[in-house]
Amino acid sequence: MPGADKETDLTERIEAFLADLKRGGSGTGPLRGSGEMARETTYLLRRITAQARWSSAGDLMEIIRNEGRRMTAAQPSETTVGNMVRRVLKIIREEYARSRGSSEETEQQESLHKLLTAGELSEENFRQHFVHLKANVIEAINELLTELDGTTDNIAMQALEHIHSNEVIMTVGRSRTVEAFLKDAARKRKFHVIVAECAPFCQGHEMATGLSKVGIETTVIADAAIFAVMSRVNKVIIGTQTVLANGGLRAVNGTHSVALAARHHSTPLIICAPMFKLSPQVFTTIFYPFPGSFSYCLPVLREILSKVNVHCPVFDYVPPELITLFISNIGGNAPSYIYRLMSELYHPEDHKL
Amino acid sequence: MEARMIPVIRSLDTIGPSMLLCSLLPCSGETILGLRESLKWATDCLTEVDSSVAVSSGGELFLRFISLTSLEHQDLSRCKKVMEERGELFLEKISLSRTKVAKLCHTFIKDGAKILTHSSSRVVLRVLEKAAAEKKRFTVYVTESQPDTAGKQMADALRRLNVPVTVVLDAAVGYVLEKVDLVIVGAEGVVESGGIINKIGTYQMAVCSKAHNKPFYVVAESFKFVRLYPLNQQDVPDRFKYKADTLRTVSDLSDEHPMIDYTPPSLITLLFTDLGVLTPSAVSDELIKLYL
Repeated sequence: MPGADKETDLTERIEAFLADLKRGGSGTGPLRGSGEMARETTYLLRRITAQARWSSAGDLMEIIRNEGRRMTAAQPSETTVGNMVRRVLKIIREEYARSRGSSEETEQQESLHKLLTAGELSEENFRQHFVHLKANVIEAINELLTELDGTTDNIAMQALEHIHSNEVIMTVGRSRTVEAFLKDAARKRKFHVIVAECAPFCQGHEMATGLSKVGIETTVIADAAIFAVMSRVNKVIIGTQTVLANGGLRAVNGTHSVALAARHHSTPLIICAPMFKLSPQVFTTIFYPFPGSFSYCLPVLREILSKVNVHCPVFDYVPPELITLFISNIGGNAPSYIYRLMSELYHPEDHKL
Repeated sequence: MEARMIPVIRSLDTIGPSMLLCSLLPCSGETILGLRESLKWATDCLTEVDSSVAVSSGGELFLRFISLTSLEHQDLSRCKKVMEERGELFLEKISLSRTKVAKLCHTFIKDGAKILTHSSSRVVLRVLEKAAAEKKRFTVYVTESQPDTAGKQMADALRRLNVPVTVVLDAAVGYVLEKVDLVIVGAEGVVESGGIINKIGTYQMAVCSKAHNKPFYVVAESFKFVRLYPLNQQDVPDRFKYKADTLRTVSDLSDEHPMIDYTPPSLITLLFTDLGVLTPSAVSDELIKLYL
């Protein structure tokens, strides 16, 4: 029967996606970029909306929330998956509100104003059925996908405002967004880039090769030399894995040291991060390593391997005080403004899936 | 009207003013202006008795309520009815707010944490109760908080929860901070800049935490947001700094000890309110949304 086929097809795809996520984390699968991850998640969510069986917005949200929970449990360090799920949940809420005819303002955040003027402590239960809800939601998800496709270009377009001729820019490791950013500026300006190699994976080497291919003068330095070289640097431009709700970052290991060195020399620290990396998590104290920091065995002599514990965390926390500017696909923002952007992207009830 | 006020004043707490104002609604004037006048008068009487920031902000918020309601309904009796209903709702929401704050904050307390807190705060107590209920093990250091030694009451309450607690001198804050993992304080008022007004000694604690790089968290309900923008300690109005009877009886205030101080937003890491986890810069946003 066609209905049953669609169901099994859908569950197969979801299982394949989850397996992919798990493999990507353990280091055996291919290392995917977050942009790709975000796009795949959104495709999957669109498919779920189209093919799963649901009658009201509440049902759809439950289904998506459950799948979202499973996906984030499969790979907790990949936050873009959770972010996309929350975006889609917000889209569903908005479309539902629009179908009901109520203005979008009423569904928004808790605020003092709402405290005073709202009616009963009503529970919005999303039980009403609307005929066009499915089509509207899918259309909105398509818009989201267009936005995702354009993020790198939107960020790169802002490059000329920030990079001037004869400047020395420092970057760390490899970020596709920063690479596009610098390449776009290189079309019209001549500047010098210093790349910190970022051991132990040394992704900085790939970055340097990529940049020099378009004619940018690039220098690779060891991580230990970052502080020494910082006095000659005009700007530090880096990417990140996640932007946290308080304006801090979860970035590749070593970024906090770069941020501190930049603060010491009063060098501006600019982060190029698309909006889908914005996550409602907050950094909760330094007791535990970040979920998803896995140990990779450093090339260590075999004799001492049994006597030594090797820890190699993958991520670092950078507090918002060290950051100067966030450049995202919607423009430049200060770290203290991140909470506002987040309130526009996600609904507070979805913060915890 | 005055006769009815006296028993309420005796059992005053921060929710008191709203309850009082709610109870006044049935009696007063024939016009909205009259109603507003009597409510203003009631708030002034209350602040004469207990000059805390929370009373002032709670009262103002309730008055704001009135002006928003009066715009919607022309007929006075219907207006009063709606105000009463909304007043009840307001009280209900406020009593839930401490629970919401506790739910948000307790996840920041990890197993084995050592927490420093200042004086006695019911919201902090609720947060620690929730953390203890979640079977987390933590120890608490409470400052004694002169001149009223309110810290001892906090310590007693925590001992009843079987939480290991130590009372330290106010002067020992710097000494104890190296052992501590995080600092949580309550607030009597949250000002527009995102800073807080709290028992004297809080500013000191905040400066020391910054020096030691320890997170400084503030827990406060949203009705404590107040429309003040102090730039330094002098800017905080005298009516909040000193007790009401001190202001009445003493002529030269320079000999008196202030009861509260102002902590600027640069020293605060995060604010936990029933509106969510806010950075200090988000506070003014919230206030603007209300008052515009």
